[in-house]
Amino acid sequence: MNPEEVEFLGEKQLISIIPTFNSSTIHLVSGDIGPFRASLPVNVPLWVAVNLKQQRKCKIQPPDWMDVEQLELLKEAEKASRNFVKMPSEHYMIEGKLLLSIATDDIARADEVRTIIKDIWDIRMAKLRSSVNTLITGKSYGNVDNLTIMEINSMRPLIPHAMDQIHRMKMERPRFSTPSQSTSLGLLNSSTVISTFK
Amino acid sequence: MYGESACSLVKELDRNRGTLPPYNNELIGEVEKEICHLIQQNVADDFKAHEDSNVGAGLDYTATIRTRHAIIQRNLRCLLAYHYNRLRCLRTMRWEFGSILPPDIKVNLSHAESNWFSKYSSMLATYMRSIGDDGGVNLTIDLNPPKALYIEVKCLVDYGQYELSDGSLVLLKESNRYFLPRAECEDLIRQGVFQHIIN
Amino acid sequence: MDTVENAEDVQSDESEYEEIAHTAAEVLELMEEAWLNEKFAPEILPHKYDIVECLLGQISHVEENLTNVGNDDLRRSLHQMELDRLRYLVSSYLRMRLEKIETYVYFILKQEEERSQKGEENYLNKNELEFAKAYMQSLDQHFTDRLHFWPGNIPTEWKNQLIIPNIHSFVFMKAKNEIEGVMVSHVNEEEEVVDLRTGSQILISYSNVGHFIKTNQSCLI
Repeated sequence: MNPEEVEFLGEKQLISIIPTFNSSTIHLVSGDIGPFRASLPVNVPLWVAVNLKQQRKCKIQPPDWMDVEQLELLKEAEKASRNFVKMPSEHYMIEGKLLLSIATDDIARADEVRTIIKDIWDIRMAKLRSSVNTLITGKSYGNVDNLTIMEINSMRPLIPHAMDQIHRMKMERPRFSTPSQSTSLGLLNSSTVISTFK
Repeated sequence: MYGESACSLVKELDRNRGTLPPYNNELIGEVEKEICHLIQQNVADDFKAHEDSNVGAGLDYTATIRTRHAIIQRNLRCLLAYHYNRLRCLRTMRWEFGSILPPDIKVNLSHAESNWFSKYSSMLATYMRSIGDDGGVNLTIDLNPPKALYIEVKCLVDYGQYELSDGSLVLLKESNRYFLPRAECEDLIRQGVFQHIIN
Repeated sequence: MDTVENAEDVQSDESEYEEIAHTAAEVLELMEEAWLNEKFAPEILPHKYDIVECLLGQISHVEENLTNVGNDDLRRSLHQMELDRLRYLVSSYLRMRLEKIETYVYFILKQEEERSQKGEENYLNKNELEFAKAYMQSLDQHFTDRLHFWPGNIPTEWKNQLIIPNIHSFVFMKAKNEIEGVMVSHVNEEEEVVDLRTGSQILISYSNVGHFIKTNQSCLI
């Protein structure tokens, strides 16, 4: 998945805004939003929030977790745990990235928030890298509980591909001279021909 | 050396990934000639082998025939790979350029490839028309997840009044920032009136 | 403003028969899931044209209603943005299927025929099937024409050496409900049985879990 697609998925996350306008309920296909009353908080999908904010039609209410103290606790928990800690939002990186780019004025200590989110991401990524070894040498499957979509996506295509290749090599028996299961062995495919020429 | 021309065909593919160089008639002709030549030789040897075995003595042709057969198969494979991958490339171009190819690409196609392109083009159009019950869906657009309709731009010159497509007027002043619909900005960005501000 | 509200009422009236099964929002969620599954599954999955058509219906309704609204309307821009999102989702889903169909055309058509013979549901929708057949025929013709120079019988064995999807490739899967007894095949021909809790995520060979995707017990992520 490319980053735009991950963002696309994350943008449906609901977020609380304080509108500066009045409007009756809007019936979107993804669900009704509103009614909007100036200065009364209301939940809307992230993509709506971004749009309204850009048009200066609302203030963003940052999600509870987007707060320096909360994030510090989360960061410590992540450091202390061997496993991946469950994140407060399935799309914490997307929310962080989008809100911190368009609504810094609505987020308290935005720069610090940005740094801690980045720290948490880095800790999790380091953990991920060090667990890759157990993942690919041990069993024929790997647990990725509590990893968010964006984190899982950062493992692609390398990790699944590596597991795939290892699996293939292990499965290969001398008597199978005609490989039976491969995307690249069809007669019409040039890549195998090319690689034998190189 | 046998197999060399076929190998060059595939190397040509590899060198030109994603593009379509002129259809290589000359090289293909050589591969075909080689295949024909090898088949003829095999037929002849096969005939001789039969004659010899009738007499009861003679050479064993099996190894030679098998080797030639292997070369023929390899040549065939390269030939098909060359043609198949060019079709795949053409296919991608149908998605990029629509049903009419730019002339500089068109000249590089063989006659059969041009035919295939029209065929593909029309089967794709038929399929797209068949989706849903409202005249179909054009799948060659909406390629990327939509981004914000509005973008932030900085005005670089004192432009004055500008009329948006809904009829409303905006006064564009130098170094002011505006949030405007993306579609409205694109022309002015190209003209250098606006600078797109990316966070 | 009134026109939109009225039009929206009409929309919900007309789609009432679908609400028995799903609300529009639920359909959208199903489409997102189908999109992800199709994106990550190595093979083509059973088509979800019922969802596609339902969503396309929603799109046309909203489009019709929008023609009467002024440009400056906030509603309009939000509806417009949502339309873009819906259109992207549907087209992207259909495009991915088309790409798989083209890549594995010989293999897929062979499988579809076997399914028909066994009286099973086809994976391809009727129109996709027609496209697949036309596409295969065009390849056949292109290659056969090219091989006319061949002395004697034109070789056809290449048609049996298919490009087939690697169903052993590894995928990330999320269990939608509790799944007991996932068989994980190991290299030494041993099998391990794994139980999955609702919501647990696992990196695993598609061949071990493909049927859970098709039976809607889990989804790919």
